[in-house]
Amino acid sequence: MLPLRGFRVLEHAKGVAAAYAGRLLATMGAQVIMAEPAEGCRLRHEPPFLAGGEVSALFASLALGKQSVVCAPGEPGFDALLARADVFIDDTPVAERASGPLDPDRISAAHPRLIYVSVLPFGAAGGKAGWKGEEVTVMHSGGEGNLLPNGLNLELFPGRAPLKMYGNFAQMQAGVAAALAALSAGLSVSALGGQFVDIAEQDVSVALSAMAVQRLGDGVLEHRTTRSFRWGGVFPCADGHIELVTAEERQWQGLVQLVGSPAWMDDPELSDPAGRGRRGPEVNREIRAWAAGRPAAELVAAGQAAGVPVAKYREPGEIVAGEHEQVRGLFAPAAIPGVGTLPVLVAPMQMNGAPIPSPGDPPVLGANQSLLAEAVR
Amino acid sequence: MKPLAGVRITDFTVHAAGPFCTHLLAQLGAECIKIESRLRPDIFRKPHPVYGRTEPSTFDQVSAGKLSVRLNLKHPKGAELARALAAISDVAVENFRAGVMARLGLDWAGLSAANPRLVMVSVSSSGQVSPDSRFAGYAPLFGAWGGLGTLSGYADGPPMEVRHMMDHAAGLNGTFAVLAGLHGRARHGQGAYFDVAARDVACASIGEYLLQAASGVAPERWGNAHPGMAPHGVYATAGGDAWVAVAVREDQEFQALCALIGRADLAAEPRYASAAGRCADRARLDVALEAWTSTQNAEAAAQALQGVGVAAHVSWNPQAIVDDPHLRARGTIVDFAMPDGGTRAVIGAPMRFSNAEAGIERGTPKLGEHEDYVFGELLKLSREERSLLEQQEVIA
Repeated sequence: MLPLRGFRVLEHAKGVAAAYAGRLLATMGAQVIMAEPAEGCRLRHEPPFLAGGEVSALFASLALGKQSVVCAPGEPGFDALLARADVFIDDTPVAERASGPLDPDRISAAHPRLIYVSVLPFGAAGGKAGWKGEEVTVMHSGGEGNLLPNGLNLELFPGRAPLKMYGNFAQMQAGVAAALAALSAGLSVSALGGQFVDIAEQDVSVALSAMAVQRLGDGVLEHRTTRSFRWGGVFPCADGHIELVTAEERQWQGLVQLVGSPAWMDDPELSDPAGRGRRGPEVNREIRAWAAGRPAAELVAAGQAAGVPVAKYREPGEIVAGEHEQVRGLFAPAAIPGVGTLPVLVAPMQMNGAPIPSPGDPPVLGANQSLLAEAVR
Repeated sequence: MKPLAGVRITDFTVHAAGPFCTHLLAQLGAECIKIESRLRPDIFRKPHPVYGRTEPSTFDQVSAGKLSVRLNLKHPKGAELARALAAISDVAVENFRAGVMARLGLDWAGLSAANPRLVMVSVSSSGQVSPDSRFAGYAPLFGAWGGLGTLSGYADGPPMEVRHMMDHAAGLNGTFAVLAGLHGRARHGQGAYFDVAARDVACASIGEYLLQAASGVAPERWGNAHPGMAPHGVYATAGGDAWVAVAVREDQEFQALCALIGRADLAAEPRYASAAGRCADRARLDVALEAWTSTQNAEAAAQALQGVGVAAHVSWNPQAIVDDPHLRARGTIVDFAMPDGGTRAVIGAPMRFSNAEAGIERGTPKLGEHEDYVFGELLKLSREERSLLEQQEVIA
């Protein structure tokens, strides 16, 4: 049985982070009801789009297994849904909450056992609580954006702007934090009652970039120009790129074997990791020469056999059809309204030795309107 | 009171993702017992030259607040003590390479036999069940396998390796699994086992783009751009290596931005009246915006843009983060007292509760610092028994 079976969540979200929190809870078995405006939540209209260009892949991915009602805060049905919920996830800006139906104090008074999870770019408290945020501003406000890229991208384009990671990475991790914070608060309801949980996407990005702050405390101000691996990284090959990292001595010895123990590796300075660091660019030139012209599959197989961590930079299509993903049941078919059935990623984990089953399909707008009537009764 | 007060964790993790997972649980109030050994300490107790770190860290963010014991898990008696600890724990977390815990008799089968109500989480590169499960991996490899690194990078460049944030995201997902498992146990009375694959966490972070690919549309690499917003990117400001990130979502935001940067002419062009029109001509808009930002102080530009309702923030380095009044007011950055009498800035729990506390209370434990409590009080080992186990290199 899925662990959150019987757990009830009301989601009022227009951003990725809050919606991803709901998606995770739904995946673990919770009933997650999206309260949407009449035109549908904003995510229904956000890129990327599926083939045909009209249906949002983002929404389909985030809404898997949720239910949809058209209902606005302040309407009787909305409060009735709150009364039945264990958790309320909301990303309404702070100023719009004040003194209205989403005012946390009002909700707390009306629903004392409810966990109200606020998910905002810079949180619900603090000097920047009212600041707008999008993925690119959140990732750069959290530090990691400024520290990227390293390695080959930096070598090729040294003067360019620092880079965010792809897609909605920072917001999604904020969603994970919101979901686990909701569950933490939920575990202590009998002792502490309901409460307001304040998640800032920036805070989560800062926490995930913890190494940089830790290094700062050690006296090292990291920068993208100095953070590259001293040796290893991204290397072009015949059919794309590979990643190769040797962080441990035995992995370095594997690399020596892998590239055929050339004479340059006998240099006494390279017997010491610090020496390898000093000679990193030279080492990388040799690895680059070794990788060039060979297919990734051959490099990966040889590398991993020698105990050297090597991976291919896989294209999305390769992943969807990948053997690893099939064995783990990472994707499951979902009926996407207006498109048809496509494989959707369910969860990055298995439970009790088996894939976690799909929580269902993404709903059409208002598909579960009867839930409102039930709640009001 | 912290929300997870009363929850005990047997923590087998020593490398990046796993310690981050249990670090969050410790900050939420769980009693986290970290198992290391002299021969297999946490990575932050050692130099790490490939990252440019030639000395051990002076503080380990993700071990703060944990209790430390030494156990040689390769010794049968060490594994037996670990099982005994798991038997009186609520949670066990490990991030060995797949198969190691089974060899030690400490996998789910072994530990759940000792404690059927245990919630156990494994975090590994490719999961316990995978054709690649034996493969070693680090954060950049997770990003490569999972497509996140493939799609990241400048639009006209190669893939971009992702770094520690990827490790920690895998750990964060592990923490979520623990919490889900504890809820399931509270509701249904049963423990559970979660097998988190870090590369799948990378996949999950681009789930919408994998779905797009499945529909027949190959996702593009965007750099700092966005398929539905323009201007959108990271722009140079005055004063050297100082950048401001800006994202314009709504039409009225574009109007406000144009007024701010003195380009009413752009605001008046009909083709820029919609996001689609702006995205179609994003390069010109980027040039126009950067012509303004490059004359501005980065912080002042961000303030001005936010002042007219446009999402903007300086691309911050670690020093700016540590110094920020907003993050300090939230408790995200806190000054922590060190044993030498000094203080250092550390990162608190990335969540605030109206009715509960969260955060770091103790620093990095010394190796084996809490053995009197764990081996003496919890496992009821006498001083003589512990001495014998030390002689036998079980506690080592």
